[in-house]
Amino acid sequence: MNRLIAEVISSGKMTFRSKIAVFFTLIFPVLLILLFGAIFSGQGSSAITLQVQNLDEGPLSEDLINILNATKIVKVEYIPSSENITEYIQNHSLYVALKIPEGFTNDVQQLLNDPNITFPIGLTIYGDPSNQGFMTSQAAVNNAITYLNYNLSGAFPLISVITSTVTLEELEFIDFFLPGIIGFTIMTSGLFGMTSQCAEYRSRGFFKLLATTTLTKWEWLISMFIINTLIVTVSLLLMVIAGILAFNITVTLTLLTFVFVMIGVLLFTGMGMLIGTVIKDPESGTALANAIGFPMMFLSGVFFPIESFPSYLQTVADFLPLTYLANGLRDTMIFGNTTGALSNLFILSVLAVIFVILGSKLMSWKEK
Amino acid sequence: MCAMSTDVAVEVENLAKHYPPDIKAVDDISFEIKSGQIFSLLGPNGAGKTTTVEILEGLRNPTSGKVKVLGVDITKNYAKIRKRVGILPQNFEPFDLLKPPEAVIYWARLFGMTFTRKDIDKIIEDVGLSDRKSIVSKKLSGGEKRKLGIALSLVNEPELLFLDEPTTGLDPKARRDVWRLLEEIESKGTTILLTTHYLEEAEKLASVVAIMHKGKIIAEGSPEDLIAKYGRKTSIVLSGAGKAGLEEIKRRGIPASEMNGDVLVPCADRSEMRTYFAKLSALDITMKDMYTRRDTLEDVFLSLIGQKMEDGELQE
Repeated sequence: MNRLIAEVISSGKMTFRSKIAVFFTLIFPVLLILLFGAIFSGQGSSAITLQVQNLDEGPLSEDLINILNATKIVKVEYIPSSENITEYIQNHSLYVALKIPEGFTNDVQQLLNDPNITFPIGLTIYGDPSNQGFMTSQAAVNNAITYLNYNLSGAFPLISVITSTVTLEELEFIDFFLPGIIGFTIMTSGLFGMTSQCAEYRSRGFFKLLATTTLTKWEWLISMFIINTLIVTVSLLLMVIAGILAFNITVTLTLLTFVFVMIGVLLFTGMGMLIGTVIKDPESGTALANAIGFPMMFLSGVFFPIESFPSYLQTVADFLPLTYLANGLRDTMIFGNTTGALSNLFILSVLAVIFVILGSKLMSWKEK
Repeated sequence: MCAMSTDVAVEVENLAKHYPPDIKAVDDISFEIKSGQIFSLLGPNGAGKTTTVEILEGLRNPTSGKVKVLGVDITKNYAKIRKRVGILPQNFEPFDLLKPPEAVIYWARLFGMTFTRKDIDKIIEDVGLSDRKSIVSKKLSGGEKRKLGIALSLVNEPELLFLDEPTTGLDPKARRDVWRLLEEIESKGTTILLTTHYLEEAEKLASVVAIMHKGKIIAEGSPEDLIAKYGRKTSIVLSGAGKAGLEEIKRRGIPASEMNGDVLVPCADRSEMRTYFAKLSALDITMKDMYTRRDTLEDVFLSLIGQKMEDGELQE
């Protein structure tokens, strides 16, 4: 016990004094959260710009534009009335533009005053219908017109659709992203950290040195597990705090979250150890850990939802331990889905036991 | 230091370590180390010194042979004696990011010892690192790192110390510091097995030297014994006496030879030396200086192996 504590304290000191270790386990994940959060956050300039050429001079076109802006889906900018709209679209590579015809307000007034006129008054929407921005703008314009129609004719809608969100609150990309990055940090600290540590300890004779003390291999492994768990926990708290402060994310830190951290650390420490037993020098250790870690990072749904992958890649993801870690963390932290979390945890635990046993059996501090 | 139950610290009998296909890193060697002495395995790189020591440390398994360390058969139960043995591995490097006192307390705890601040300060002071206490180990000089390594090997107050090339790569001053440290440790009764490829080091420190070459021990004894057995006799050197001097000396019936302009007069023992000295002093010979010259381990090594050794490498 004394030896274990000594190992934890000393290795902990070494880790926190290592600038690289501190950067990659504590600072880098927070930077990722801030960076990706900023890229994908829903605030600010997320509304689509809708270029409008308004040839009308009456108040009704103004009303329409105000309604469009009020949707917050589009933001109206103006095309000068002197321009030819088709040429303007081509010259400015626009995917959508709206034309309000000359005399729009007048025509509508006439229509309202004289029930004998039956033709509707047309607005023209230009652009590329295959573009998502076009479709969104079109929907916004249609909604605005419907609203205007009701208003002008004094009618009210009989049927309406209410959107009811099923998750606790509306999810944004950052909510999805944060548990993924926590899983990613667990993987890097376990897999990369352990591989390079094993390689360094071997090449610099630290294993031999430890073998000459009364510290046992198991005591060393347990202390490595404890240190990594502590570091990842600190890292996790930093990420959550950063997420809440910067993006007001909605996460729940459940007890299960910390169980995931421990099992994840165990799994990836074991995996790192296993790689560490095979390689002889730090360079090849890093290379091998990268070769395994990077594809896993991208294919496990850490950065992008697995559902958006082609089906064969989804199959690959099914075989990657990080998939279950990221999904499990998401289940418990975001969706509050304990059943889903537990089934992911079960798979992780089985893998963790396999890797830890293999890694520790194959690791030797002695020479042949 | 607890009393030894036996006066033999290490017994090695017909020890061999073979690697496939047919490398005999250690080729059937036997020796014993008496308690309280410094025993040196001396030899060039690749002679099998480190392999031998690592077997004695329980870090490698022997192919065959019997090894007893502190009375324990090392292939059976090394754990029993771990606490009684101190080890400085070859090319020792300390943990980069620990300061010397932190490294000492860490190591002491790994041996299950509780160290007070005073204990730490004492061991740091003993190895001469008192003014480097607040510096992380990677910023220490080569010699300081090695001293820290020796400090770590001493935390469990070992009866037996294995030092594998403790001064390799150090500058002359640092080397002398380490020597002084080892002499102090020896004076406390600690048995030391020291491997080295520095002849001067073995000669200065060891009471018994075993010269190792190609996995075998080719000579063993105290430096004096080895020099007496394999070296030339002590000579009186008349430096710069030249051919003329040689003629003159031979004419008086004194055996002599000339080497590089110097005349050498071999003496069988001290009384002969005294006689010759008196006779030679009376002669009127032009020379720069007259002194005695004694063979060193270096000469022994050269005559045994037929090659000189520099920094552990045999020279053509």
